Amino acid sequence: MKMKMADGNSAVLRRNRPGTKAEDWCNWSDEAFEEMDSTLAVQQFIQQAIRKDFTNIEEILTPPEGVEEGVWKYEHLRQFCMELNGLCVKLQTECHPEQCSQMTATEQWIFLCAAHKTPKECPAIDYTRHTLDGAACLLNSNKYFPSRVCIKESSVNKLGSVCRRVYRIFSHAYFHHRTLFDEYENETYLCRRFTKFVTKYNLMSKDNLIVPILEDQNAIDGESEA
Amino acid sequence: MNDGEGPGSQHAGQLGPVSGAMGMMTKQQADDVGQRPQYSMPGILHFLQTEWARFEMERSQWEVERAELQARIAFLQGERKGQENLKQDLVRRIKMLEFALKQERAKYHKLKYGTELNQEDLKPPSLEKKEEDAVDGEVMPSAGNVSWRQGRHLLRQYLQEIGYTDTIIDVRSARVRSLLGLQAHAAESEAEGAQPAIVQMNGEVPSKRAGDQGKARGKKMPASLVDSALLDSEASVLATLDFLGQDGMEDEDNLSDEDDGLAGEEESEVKHVKKRPKMQNVDNIAMMEDDTETEEALAEFDFLVEEAENGAGEAQSHGDGPEWGLQGGSSIAFPSDSRKQIIGTDPDDESFGEELGELADLTVNNEADQNNYDISSPKEAYRKTWNAKYTLRSHFDGVRSLAFHPVDPVLITASEDHTLKLWNLQKTVPAKKATSLDVEPVYTFRAHIGPVLCLAVNSTGEQCFSGGQDSTIRCWNIPSSNIDPYDSFDQNVLNCTLEGHTNAVWGLSVHSSKMQLLSCSADGTVRLWSPGQKPPLLQSYTAEEDDGAPTSVDFVRCDPSQMVASYSSSNTYIYDIETGKQVLCINTKSASEDGGNNQINCVVNHPTLPVTITAHEDRNIRFFDNTTGKLIHSMVAHLNAVSSLAVDPNGLYLLSGSHDCSIRLWNLDSKTCVQEITAHRKKFEESIHDVAFHPSKPYIASAGADALAKVFV
Repeated sequence: MKMKMADGNSAVLRRNRPGTKAEDWCNWSDEAFEEMDSTLAVQQFIQQAIRKDFTNIEEILTPPEGVEEGVWKYEHLRQFCMELNGLCVKLQTECHPEQCSQMTATEQWIFLCAAHKTPKECPAIDYTRHTLDGAACLLNSNKYFPSRVCIKESSVNKLGSVCRRVYRIFSHAYFHHRTLFDEYENETYLCRRFTKFVTKYNLMSKDNLIVPILEDQNAIDGESEA
Repeated sequence: MNDGEGPGSQHAGQLGPVSGAMGMMTKQQADDVGQRPQYSMPGILHFLQTEWARFEMERSQWEVERAELQARIAFLQGERKGQENLKQDLVRRIKMLEFALKQERAKYHKLKYGTELNQEDLKPPSLEKKEEDAVDGEVMPSAGNVSWRQGRHLLRQYLQEIGYTDTIIDVRSARVRSLLGLQAHAAESEAEGAQPAIVQMNGEVPSKRAGDQGKARGKKMPASLVDSALLDSEASVLATLDFLGQDGMEDEDNLSDEDDGLAGEEESEVKHVKKRPKMQNVDNIAMMEDDTETEEALAEFDFLVEEAENGAGEAQSHGDGPEWGLQGGSSIAFPSDSRKQIIGTDPDDESFGEELGELADLTVNNEADQNNYDISSPKEAYRKTWNAKYTLRSHFDGVRSLAFHPVDPVLITASEDHTLKLWNLQKTVPAKKATSLDVEPVYTFRAHIGPVLCLAVNSTGEQCFSGGQDSTIRCWNIPSSNIDPYDSFDQNVLNCTLEGHTNAVWGLSVHSSKMQLLSCSADGTVRLWSPGQKPPLLQSYTAEEDDGAPTSVDFVRCDPSQMVASYSSSNTYIYDIETGKQVLCINTKSASEDGGNNQINCVVNHPTLPVTITAHEDRNIRFFDNTTGKLIHSMVAHLNAVSSLAVDPNGLYLLSGSHDCSIRLWNLDSKTCVQEITAHRKKFEESIHDVAFHPSKPYIASAGADALAKVFV
């Protein structure tokens, strides 16, 4: 990391150059949102907040001044999908079609994968991958989200459906691959953040939030499961 | 008696004036007869008859005249009507242009000052349409208003996203102008030469080409086909009006002069437009120059409209522009169709200079129009220009690296969102606008934990390797590019994992023939692997402490037993692969600027010459000789650090990508920049991470920090 007088204001050049060590990744000082000059400022801001402290969910989810709510939700959803890759990688090792041949969480529901022309009963790992890929396509599609700075009203509804599908990955992991889930959760606090995010912005109905994520409940469930 | 005398005297009277001899007699008779007037019946009758005949003749003459005059009146009326329609259309066009201009100004103003310009008249011109007007042109219907608005809206959005600083634009335009100053004259002579070619062509096609180039002239960022059609029409109007007036012939010269005067600007605009691979990029300068240009264009209109109204009888026939049926139907067939086309294209040629010339070449050679999706530009006659064709959107975070398949139109991207994606360029998303096609990934490779930083594809295209921040290198079997993206998970895609590095792996290079892989990592080592063998790690090369971390590696192409590695301390070494010893230290450090750490971001080797090319953080690109290690050439390449390099498989061109959001194509013989493309937006301070050539097809690609990858043809 070089300290270079780039311009009068900041003495820091925020770049991850080749040769940067893993621990030095993004190892620069935080930038205030107002000073962020790029068009991807919201994403930068979110990532910065997460790097600073991923347990401080409140702060991560609080939009700064002047950010449109649609854009805020969109960028957060992108970040969630990105971080879910990590969970997916973990699941890939453990979640095999022979054991988890369907996407379920609790015993009641079987989730059909919407990424196909007709909804298909994919094995859990396929469901996870397809959902993440489908979310990537949708969130990046020029048709629904042509701009990252201004979200069309009609596309805001899509965010809700993406959230719903993505949540199922959490619930499946929680109920069927508990150790993985805990491991990942402790590293990233992702499910907590996600739950808080969808409740705050009302992107999913509360009935669907079946992963018990409140602190006290988690502790109780943890004990009971163990 | 009287009767007898009467006729007699009548006759005499008649004959009297005829002959003198008779006259005497008449006189006598007249004297005899007395003061009585010499009227005789036959005489009177005759007189009456002649008079009547005369009158009849005159009447018939008058009838004829009247008929003629009436015909002429009708004709003139028709002509006048034609002129009125023409004028109305032109006025409408003017209004639209003005409106567009105002909007552009407003946007520009908003961009520049961050405030809204006072928008008094900023409402779309009320387009009172008569039936005939609705017949206008192919793509410029009244519905064009709606899609035109959509285009405008999109433009607005893109403008919002851009955030370009003026200085970058200034510098670029200055550079472009200097480039063009060389080309302008040469190209125009070509244009002249190409005219005869146009003559023999189908009349339609060149005018269409002219029209297409009209869009370049209009200098609006042609975000929509409607805009371009609008400009087509404008150009063709100009073209036809040029011919209209009798005086039009001289005025053509005037026009051309004006146009030539503008040519410099125009061509710079065209270049600008060329260099906008995508609609996304709007040039503020374009807007400013637009002002002067549009005003001049408008001035020309006034001039020409006047001309036209005074104009000749042929005016009506030429009121039908090649592109739009103004009158709603060419009632009068113009015989000099092809001739008009020639003349019509004259000013086009002069005003559009090189473009039409080359396009004429194009149309002569291949009828198929491949430029429909490239708004940016036609091909230059003597230099190929790269235009954005595909946009690869699917990553969530910056794309750090990309590589093409050796044979197929397939590429793989590696991103900071922990995934790699496989893209098939033949599977594009059907899009409304055919300007730039979106591509969706065929496959997503997930296994890394942490950003994936580098990527290499082996020469058979069956395997690829990726290195990430988690210090692992993964070997993948590339799935077929035709698989269903939503297929079931195949465990075997991940072939193996090479572990050994202890820190982020930043660089990968695969040997062209042997199955060997070089990697460099932030832990300070460069390692040689042979995936598939056990153990895979063959060698490990460590450099001195103060060299910093290796940033990039490459095999030396001319000598397969050597490899070159560059370091963050701005040193570069050539190592012998077998022994692991440093063979040569390339003088990259001493050649670069002192003061501060001048890291080398990328090093590549020329495929045929023993030359190493390095990309520096101090904005330079430097060329070194592999045998002596001396600096061959050094050039300031960009406005910001140069982040990546790629050499084309033939060794003729160099691509460089930089954090100033631009990609530049360099001719390696002359070491000059032949094209600059602006692409990608900045995230933090980074914008372009990687560039690549396709090994066998004419594709180049760039990977950006804005999570997009773009492919140019």
